[in-house]
Amino acid sequence: MRLSRRAAGVLAQALAFLLALWAAPHLGWLWGGLFPEVQRPVWDQRNWFALLGSHLLLSLGAAAVAAVLGLAGGILATRQSGRRLRPLLDALFSLAQAVPPIAVIALALPALGFGAAPTLLALVLYACLPVLRGAVAGLDGVPPGVLDAARGIGMGPWRGLTQIEMPLALPVVLSSLRLAVVLSIATAAVGAMAGAECLGTPIVVGLANNNGAYVLQGGLFTAWLALLADRALALLLPARR
Amino acid sequence: MIRFDAVTKRYGPRAAVDAVSLEVRARRICVLLGESGSGKSTLMRMVNRLVEPDSGRIMLDGRDIAGVPPEALRHGIGYVIQSVGLFPHWRVAQNVATVPRLLGWEDARVAARVDALLDLVGLPPDRFRDRLPHELSGGQAQRVGLARALAADPPVLLMDEPFSALDPGIRRELQGALRDIHAGTDKTILFVTHDVEEALLLADELAVMQDGRLIAHGRPGEVLARDAGPAVRHLFGEQTLAFHRLGTLPAAGAARPGEAAAAPLLPEGATLKQALMLMLEHGTDQLAMPGGGALHLSDILAAA
Repeated sequence: MRLSRRAAGVLAQALAFLLALWAAPHLGWLWGGLFPEVQRPVWDQRNWFALLGSHLLLSLGAAAVAAVLGLAGGILATRQSGRRLRPLLDALFSLAQAVPPIAVIALALPALGFGAAPTLLALVLYACLPVLRGAVAGLDGVPPGVLDAARGIGMGPWRGLTQIEMPLALPVVLSSLRLAVVLSIATAAVGAMAGAECLGTPIVVGLANNNGAYVLQGGLFTAWLALLADRALALLLPARR
Repeated sequence: MIRFDAVTKRYGPRAAVDAVSLEVRARRICVLLGESGSGKSTLMRMVNRLVEPDSGRIMLDGRDIAGVPPEALRHGIGYVIQSVGLFPHWRVAQNVATVPRLLGWEDARVAARVDALLDLVGLPPDRFRDRLPHELSGGQAQRVGLARALAADPPVLLMDEPFSALDPGIRRELQGALRDIHAGTDKTILFVTHDVEEALLLADELAVMQDGRLIAHGRPGEVLARDAGPAVRHLFGEQTLAFHRLGTLPAAGAARPGEAAAAPLLPEGATLKQALMLMLEHGTDQLAMPGGGALHLSDILAAA
């Protein structure tokens, strides 16, 4: 009951977002009123829904890759045989996040060219660390007695991981995935710098042409989408006991 | 049933288990008694290969366990630990069914086995089957732990301080339950504890460890004999050794023929310790034996 009410709330917000996206090209009076000095304040170079689609594809794709890498790293770092790798993995993933995505894109441009590829790389590097940290924290949180019992009872390492450890670590892992998705959606806008089509495109075009109305529209929808995603993913997390 | 041949395990320069040889005969409860750090848990954990020995050999039912894959080996050995280690996201029935499911039993057989085991450990299946571990008391959780260990009917049980975290009353209940279950099945049990009373209550055989070495082994009466070494005396308490020894001797063995008129009656199967307690309780120096005969205070003194 509580869940369905929350779900309905998120659905209503999503509809409001889509409605705003549809209405944006028809709100010339609003954008023109806010930016009277701009000659063409209405973004019409590209359909908003196309931008939304490629933005989601970019950010969710990057989040999926980050999830796989982060989970694999987290599992490796919590195995008996992988414990020594833990500081190395943590340092590596921290470094990956410490480099700003815009710098990653700039550095990757010569090798990967313009478009989605350098953007994906930047987003993946940015979103890996929270997943790794979440996976390590979640797996570390499984009580040692439970692990000892699972081993002593004769569960193999794979069964122990999939049937005992992962289900118990799931709440922490899920909240780290949620963070990775939100980070990725919020950051994907920089991809427009590399020519990747996304909700950041109006921002970059607007900055280049001194068009504050474009920047505002792009920024508004990017932020709104990230907040919406955060709300929607919160539905997936079980309520804390 | 379980034989340790000169088994040694080192952690760094320290030998946690130092050349221990020990034979546990089938259908006995062998209690490994020692203070913490004496190596008793390490010795036990080598039986199901949670710890691998550096040297020496462990035979289980005539087979060297080094040649048995760990998982297969563990399916045939029940394992009960102090922290219980029930899987918190699984209901009681699923927890108990873990090993049968690993072995691929069919559903109907698993369900019947789960109910039979819950009955055996004193938890009505109808009330407990669908509970989650956090809905159980400590004693109930460890009963489920015991049921889980017994699920696939393994011939051997390893129990690592299973009752140490429980309140004294609950602990005595579970000790009694374990005694009853052992009497009704044919399990060989290796039981680790640091609790002297618990050891004497449960042990058919007592193996005393100190600093990784086995310092005494035998029936409790033998271990507590008057010529016990200083380490055993220290562990059982210098002043209370004789008292503990009384607890290992059946009263029937010290009784004399004749009548003890108007004396309190000793229950069937009582030890000399219980007899002495009864005398103290009633302020008398004579007891009547069940089925005839009498026990005098001087008999107890002579036997001790």
